[in-house]
Amino acid sequence: MSKVDVTVEVCGMAGDGTIAAGGLLNEAMSEGGFSVLGFDSYPAEIRGFGRCVTRSRIGTNEILALDEWTHVLISLDDAQSRSRIPGLAENSSVFFDNNPPVYVRERDSLAARVEPGTALYGMPLADLAARAAGTERGRNMTALGGFAAVFGVPEELFHKVITRKFQPKGAKILEANLHSFQAGYEYALEHFSDRIRPIFRPPAKPEGREKVMLSGNLAIGRAAIDAGLKLYFGYPITPATPIMEYLAAKLPETGGRLVQMEDEIASIGAVLGSFYAGKRAMTATSGPGFALMTELITHGVMAEIPAVILNAQRGGPATGLPTKTEQSDLHAAVFGGPGDSCRIVIAPTNVAECYHYTLKSFQLAEKYQTPVIVLTDFYLDNRVENLSVPRAGSEETADWNIYPDESSKGDYKRYALTESGISPRSIPGADGFSFSATGLEHVEKGTPSYSPENHMQMSEKRHRKIRNALADLPAPMESSPEGDLEVGVIGWGSTVGSVLEAVHSARERGHRVGALKITSLFPFHEGVIRDFMAKCREILIPELNFEGQLANLIGYLHTKDVVRFNRATGVPIAPSTILREIEALIQAGGR
Amino acid sequence: MTEDHFVIIGNGPAANSAALTLRECAPDTRVTMISRELVRQYKPKLLPDFVAGKLSEEELYVRPLAFYKEHGIKLRLGQEVVDVDFAARRVTLAHKEVVGYSGLIIAVGGKPYIPAPLQVFEDFMMTLKTISDAHAWIERLSRTESVLMIGGDLTSLAFTRALLSLGKNVYFILDEDSFWPLRLTREIRDQVAQRLVSRGVNVVECRRLKRLARVSEKSVEVVTDTDRLKVGVVGAFFGLVPDVKFLAHTGIHVERGVLVDEHLKTRFDGVYAVGIALRFTIRSFGIIGFPSGTVTLKTSGRSQR
Repeated sequence: MSKVDVTVEVCGMAGDGTIAAGGLLNEAMSEGGFSVLGFDSYPAEIRGFGRCVTRSRIGTNEILALDEWTHVLISLDDAQSRSRIPGLAENSSVFFDNNPPVYVRERDSLAARVEPGTALYGMPLADLAARAAGTERGRNMTALGGFAAVFGVPEELFHKVITRKFQPKGAKILEANLHSFQAGYEYALEHFSDRIRPIFRPPAKPEGREKVMLSGNLAIGRAAIDAGLKLYFGYPITPATPIMEYLAAKLPETGGRLVQMEDEIASIGAVLGSFYAGKRAMTATSGPGFALMTELITHGVMAEIPAVILNAQRGGPATGLPTKTEQSDLHAAVFGGPGDSCRIVIAPTNVAECYHYTLKSFQLAEKYQTPVIVLTDFYLDNRVENLSVPRAGSEETADWNIYPDESSKGDYKRYALTESGISPRSIPGADGFSFSATGLEHVEKGTPSYSPENHMQMSEKRHRKIRNALADLPAPMESSPEGDLEVGVIGWGSTVGSVLEAVHSARERGHRVGALKITSLFPFHEGVIRDFMAKCREILIPELNFEGQLANLIGYLHTKDVVRFNRATGVPIAPSTILREIEALIQAGGR
Repeated sequence: MTEDHFVIIGNGPAANSAALTLRECAPDTRVTMISRELVRQYKPKLLPDFVAGKLSEEELYVRPLAFYKEHGIKLRLGQEVVDVDFAARRVTLAHKEVVGYSGLIIAVGGKPYIPAPLQVFEDFMMTLKTISDAHAWIERLSRTESVLMIGGDLTSLAFTRALLSLGKNVYFILDEDSFWPLRLTREIRDQVAQRLVSRGVNVVECRRLKRLARVSEKSVEVVTDTDRLKVGVVGAFFGLVPDVKFLAHTGIHVERGVLVDEHLKTRFDGVYAVGIALRFTIRSFGIIGFPSGTVTLKTSGRSQR
């Protein structure tokens, strides 16, 4: 089986069925045993206009990130797809409707813009769909049929996923979609017989657990259910809304409740209230909503109440770029809010980690009695990966609350000063363990105090507690050869996949390059990071923000300035882009 | 002010020669080549060696794709012109795109010619005009041992040599019209037959091919007025005819090619034909190959500026 690594784009106008087609493509290729990573981009407006694009990277090896170039473009709207032409790789393929309703001028033509090495597969998409199913709406399926025929994807794979998607909508809709697909498939076999390139012969499926296509958001939703979530409070906001939608359907099935609150302030307030009362709760939001939550987050810090807050970052500031990705809430997550309000911030880097880190966040919140912020971003929330069905082990769902022992009954100090900084927490209502919890500074018993010594002591306690949480936080993962390195690349969040691929490619080219993945952003493992930096001539930190927020946070650990690679473009950084930066650094060092 | 835009239909030697000459003589003119072929210009005479495995595909090509971009020539491959409106000065492509031009050069090249009596057997015959044809031959030859050659154009003898080099059993139908439009005398025909036989070719002397029929997945039955044999594949090599069907209803004069004057101009302003697509109104000019593209454009390019 030869190696396959192909990026396919479906592009159309909102309402063309672009996202549906991309989703089915991902599902079908996953069914075929390929590794798949897909990511959708769509306009912020509700519907009716604007460009929708799905990008799917499909391969025989593990895929960690989307890459820069597209090998196959399926155009459902040429006016929208023209902008995708510069991103086409050499010798790419383009599927398009060659019988549009009106003649097009050269300057409006997709075919006029492609490079001469591009293989054009013109198909009368709308006509074929209309003849096959009585409606042109299935032309996205027709295009998929053409793709499957040309690239040798067994039609049964698409039949299966189309059936899975449309069967719940009734036989008529299912048949229309199947017939539209088949029309495209057969047209392509007949008309492109001399241009069939069967590169997608499915690899043998490895034995083991069944694989599913899962988005970051869906993984978070599943994890919340598996963690025993009892209450979800939220206010819809892109890109976090799918978590709420999923839980709205699933949480009641497990005895939980979801409440749409009037705003994000109410949401975090209710989450704190739930945890205060001993029930696992969470909220999910994005930058603007997170900004509203910050005061109450610090209330959780001060009153030492657990909370789980998912911040799905998007382009900012303010309303910003609602449907574009960015990693620019790191400062807000770590430092946002009044006072010295240290809290735990973790950031998964892939869909599997979205699942496991969400599980972990409940335990961390319980044990360290603090808000835990899980930082994701649009790219991670909306991308889909095929992975073994994630399941939580009993250790991942265990109750990490530290309750007071009986000996403290009657003289319970809710904020007792301990070596670890963790004061055993009673759930309100327990006889003999009454306490007050307040956002005012307080003494061990919980009563307010403004004494300078007490504030210093309590501040130190809270920070000691968070510092000690490092023991339970995932340590940085290094991928480096032995010895000193020319360049060390540090990544976080959704950018890590691109970092790892870039570093791997650099090593294949003979460079001494390593990578460090940081998922615990506060507190962070200073020693590990410092050791990694010490063996690197240059430290490169690629981030999807303008300010270099991780570099601001950890840059001081290096003996010289770290090299910032800050991208505020709203689109993911491709591995090849990072590779170019690595090689530029190596070249500059060699001179 | 509208820009000068020369559209060249075709991608063969004449079309390329025309494009390069335009670049030289009218550097500010936009030049677009539109070709139904999926690949850039290649050397068709090397196709037999490619089929024989003596050359790589890359060696067939005349110049890299990047050359066109570097020289400001927009090359549109795999795109077919289906209509020309000479009055409105625009061509229409199969995918319903309309491209305007100030100058048009018809350089479409040819398609394999199959004599009328044999057209009924066309489905059983393979030709060798394009790289795509060559790939089809390579695929077919991988599962067949014998080939019948019909027709004697410039390619057929070279291809016969290629087949022999591959160890194939080659049959060659030889009659007085095999090398049409040359008519072979008995004496020359005997000499040709002798040369072919000496190289291991099975010469089939006959007056008429009566029937071709597929009798199995792997063999075609060939019936002539003198013989009956089974072969794996039949190759037809009768030369090329201009591929100008798309001009049929456009008002341009087409006989076996587009009729042009001594400057290769058609009767429409700014419209020229070069290469195999043309046919002179003054017959005594005879056949002029791709250099005609250069000659024409040295005149027309200047006149367009």
